[in-house]
Amino acid sequence: MGTIGWLILVVIVIMVAVVAFVVIRRRRRSGGVIATKDKR
Amino acid sequence: MRLLMTASQIRGLPVVTVQGGEDVAEVRDVIYNPEAGRLVGVTLNKRGFLAGRSRDVLAAEAIHAIGQDAVMVLNESSLVAPDDAPDDVGHPATERNVLGDDILTEGGASLGKVVDLVLLVGSSGEVVGYQIDKAGGGQGYIPLPAQLSVSGVALVVPNITEEFIQDDLVGLGAAVDEFRARLGLT
Amino acid sequence: MRHLLVDARQRRIAAVLIGRGKKAQLVDWAQLSGFGPDAVMVVDEGALRPPSDDREQAAAAGKLELVGKRALSERGNELGELDDVTFDADTGVLEDLLIGGRRVPAGSLLGCGSYAAVLKETQENAP
Repeated sequence: MGTIGWLILVVIVIMVAVVAFVVIRRRRRSGGVIATKDKR
Repeated sequence: MRLLMTASQIRGLPVVTVQGGEDVAEVRDVIYNPEAGRLVGVTLNKRGFLAGRSRDVLAAEAIHAIGQDAVMVLNESSLVAPDDAPDDVGHPATERNVLGDDILTEGGASLGKVVDLVLLVGSSGEVVGYQIDKAGGGQGYIPLPAQLSVSGVALVVPNITEEFIQDDLVGLGAAVDEFRARLGLT
Repeated sequence: MRHLLVDARQRRIAAVLIGRGKKAQLVDWAQLSGFGPDAVMVVDEGALRPPSDDREQAAAAGKLELVGKRALSERGNELGELDDVTFDADTGVLEDLLIGGRRVPAGSLLGCGSYAAVLKETQENAP
């Protein structure tokens, strides 16, 4: 590959890493509805 | 006529102090007790797009009011460490998601599956209905009595609930009082 | 440019901010000898002081500015934007709040911070 090719590859890898980071951080924040039972 | 909102609308709302006007956290999970007919508390995230979870929790007793745009607390001391909160808020006994559970009438008829909870706006978490995927198809809303029984993984409702299935939240708002009045008479 | 630090509990102006950011200084209301639309008069130069706590630093950073602040009811419903605030130029006591074109007495103010000004919910502003 030429230099441009490697450059593009690096940019893509960085973008994927950023997206993965954001997705993982945001998923930690997702919540739901938890039902609890009265009797233990 | 009651103003209603769903539990999924509460998730992500900021928790704002009345005394300080600060957004101190935001809502992550909504903890619901079907037998009590209300929320028992809420788990929290820190504020900010990439901020993480907060370890603090908010018990229903410490909630000043839940509105359409924010959950109000008096001040920051309403948010406590899990060990300082009631057990079912700090350490829920069953981390079971009630969404997806079947709804059966006492007579055994299946009304559908729970898709969301419906709460009274301005209360500290009173659950007055469910949004459901109807057994016959499509979405609907059913009112709930003040207390509900749970049997295994199904939620059991009075027989007359079947007559009160609504198409939208507005209809449900109008139906809740009539439904509960009818229950009181039977 | 002049900005005001409000004491929500007492519903009055606590101090006036001169300048913004790192160079901002405050003058307590009690140290003012005059207050007008274009300038304030201070008792003496020693009345100017740097921010002394977190709240005053937040004010210096412009986070506590009342005009333009989100107005939130104590029941958790948004009421609009705080368009304007009137107060007594002698005592610094707040008089009215203008929210979304409606005039609300300052007695409704329960708290104000960087996120919102929290107001009592009344018949007029209930959803």
